[in-house]
Amino acid sequence: MTLKADWEIVGSPIDPDSDERLFFTQHEWETVEAATARIIPTDHDPGAREARVVVFIDRYLSGIDYIFAAADGSGFLKLTGKFAEAWRARMWDMQQTYREGIRDLDAAARKSYDADFKDLTEEQQDRVLEAFSGAPKPSKVTLGTTEAVTTFLQGTFDEGLGFFPALCLHTKQGFYCDPVYGGNKDHMGWKVIGFVGPKSLKDTMDGTYDTTQYFMPGDYTWEELVPHLRDHPFQPAAQ
Amino acid sequence: MAYSSKPEPVDAIVVGLGATGGTAVKVLAEAGMKVVGFDRGPWLRAHEHYSGDEVKYVNRNYLWPDPKLFPRTLRHDEHSVAEVFPFSPTPQLVGGGTNHWAGWVPRPRESDFIQRSLHGDLPGASLADWPIRYEHLEPYLTKVEWEFGVSGVAGADKYEPFRSRPYPSEPLRPTRFGRRFYDAAKKMGFNAFPIPHAMVTNRHKGRDPFNKTSFWNQYGDPSGARSNTLTTFIPEAVATGNFELRSECFVREVKVGKDGRATGVVYIDPEGREVEQDAKVVVLSLGAIESARLMLMSRSAQHPDGLANSSGLVGKNATFHEYVFAVGLFDKEVDDPLYGWAGNYISGGTFEFYETGKDRGHIGGCLISASQTVHPVNWVFPGRPSWGSALKDADRDYFNYAMKIGAILHDMPRESNRVDLDPTVKDAWGLPVARITHRPHENDVRMSKWQVDKNAEILEVAGARKTVPVYLDRMTGNTCHQHGTARMGNDPAKSVLNEWCQTHDIDNLFVVDGSGFPTSTGVNPTLTMMANAWRACDYIVETYAKGREEHIKVA
Repeated sequence: MTLKADWEIVGSPIDPDSDERLFFTQHEWETVEAATARIIPTDHDPGAREARVVVFIDRYLSGIDYIFAAADGSGFLKLTGKFAEAWRARMWDMQQTYREGIRDLDAAARKSYDADFKDLTEEQQDRVLEAFSGAPKPSKVTLGTTEAVTTFLQGTFDEGLGFFPALCLHTKQGFYCDPVYGGNKDHMGWKVIGFVGPKSLKDTMDGTYDTTQYFMPGDYTWEELVPHLRDHPFQPAAQ
Repeated sequence: MAYSSKPEPVDAIVVGLGATGGTAVKVLAEAGMKVVGFDRGPWLRAHEHYSGDEVKYVNRNYLWPDPKLFPRTLRHDEHSVAEVFPFSPTPQLVGGGTNHWAGWVPRPRESDFIQRSLHGDLPGASLADWPIRYEHLEPYLTKVEWEFGVSGVAGADKYEPFRSRPYPSEPLRPTRFGRRFYDAAKKMGFNAFPIPHAMVTNRHKGRDPFNKTSFWNQYGDPSGARSNTLTTFIPEAVATGNFELRSECFVREVKVGKDGRATGVVYIDPEGREVEQDAKVVVLSLGAIESARLMLMSRSAQHPDGLANSSGLVGKNATFHEYVFAVGLFDKEVDDPLYGWAGNYISGGTFEFYETGKDRGHIGGCLISASQTVHPVNWVFPGRPSWGSALKDADRDYFNYAMKIGAILHDMPRESNRVDLDPTVKDAWGLPVARITHRPHENDVRMSKWQVDKNAEILEVAGARKTVPVYLDRMTGNTCHQHGTARMGNDPAKSVLNEWCQTHDIDNLFVVDGSGFPTSTGVNPTLTMMANAWRACDYIVETYAKGREEHIKVA
């Protein structure tokens, strides 16, 4: 059996301009594209639609061929053994979550507006998503306040998420991922928020991508930053 | 399942090749012992397998344990049914948590070894002194700092106990948010300093530290900058010719002979075959959760309640730090950008609030540090809107205008906080998974509140226009720090290990990870764990293997 350390690199980076559908039906594709465009809307900057988030999600849901990009972004890792089994089971579940979620979204749209979700106005789509998420549409973050929240787990995995939280998470992933995954076309998601990311994953492996210009500018000494050092220079303890 | 042919017996087996197992194989193999090391996960090649891919590392568990293969369960009291939850999801692969860690490696304080003497019987907690003191670890802290590679400025931490040598490597240039922290510390009159970092910035021991990508915490490092046992101690052990590494091999039992002593292990190889490996000494270093689990799974006529468990304490008194923090948002119309994604996670911290304060209503305290808010998909902004123009605006307005100050919460041990075997949930090998039972001590909750409020106060002094405090409500194990499940102590009725990490019950079984920590310390524990593992392995080589026995007397 091929060990995880020796997973082969297969395929190639995903083409964001592809209209080929690997998982979604045409209707599902259009519905998801419309919904992601309400999660990260287009305004004076591009949104999920332009960044090709729908391509990202379609490839992810298509099976286990697009789970982990190769380190250098030249293709994808071919999972084996128990890892392949675990991901296959997980993607099966997520496929059902999407299929049923899209069906429910259309049902909610038809109930309120007598049309499929993708054919509603943006305003109507937002109302359907509000009803669907069970909460009002989030309001703008304002400064000058303090808001407490509770404990936080590092890393966000999608296993077990319902349709709407999964769609919100996947939209962020598709907007901000490395473009090898099919989203964040031409790094447009990164440009919107001012993240100066690497041109390619390979650039993060060989020293090409260097972020030190975003560290503290100017000269400094440790004595200046840590005044304690001026009066108490280090001396090894006598042993 | 058929047993394949049995490999030759060796001097020592080390199970789990993370921070402490990596240290153990180096020390034992360099001393000339024949060693076989096992890890359940893969033996990746850092320069070939690692890069800055947020989706892969942070969202899809390339390093974190796959929850379908390696589940854990969690409950918050004795009477509930535990639910599957990725508690303390430390990467299970060669190098363990040192693959993905931010790498804070501060030294413990003298007070960390004498919590019981300092605070007496804290009601509802099971405080205990360590059977060793800071002075017993100091030479080993220095060894790890130099051999493993730590960057820092000696003397900059006003509250550090004595040290015998400075650091081998300079710290990184501070980040912009780090600068804000230093400036706030000056205004408030406390000592800020660069937190010692498990990385090198020079060509220490031939390493090539080119990683300036800011893909750091949770990512693998393709360069030689990060101190990771995968790229340091493990190759050094292999180079001795005395060490054989068997990766993707899952040890499911420590075997014992008729006399109750350990004879070796049974493991499942990558083809699914069960294999037995014999050895004179068995060293466990799977982390405090999995070491306890393996001991509890290793039942026999001689050890009906699990291995080395005559005290009944295996798995109990488990402690886990929780990372709690406050985030500050700045005003892009007025303030300079902070680029919170830039840097190698930590930049500037303090021990100013670490020791017990008079008027705080709790004992102990925390190390705090300014740290990255990291990358676009998962950037750390609790309260980030989930969708719509509010989400897009929040990312556009604050992604480059946020900073975070976090605290490592020093939790109190309780006997009822523990690891045992889940009665129903099994892993992908059909074996019972670790069940965590944990309810924070009241002291933990108070400490979290006080420290996070202090962090928010510092953020405000640093210029933040809005603060978002994140308090402890329940333990999620988000630091991956695990301790206490096989306490060290002098009394076999009240502890599992002696002061050398040797089980009281079985002389040739050692547990060298954080399991032995009687209290968790309030610092990131890995440096302390590695130093302690080195100390225990020195004892194995210098004393135990020569048929002798020694003990440490503490006042």
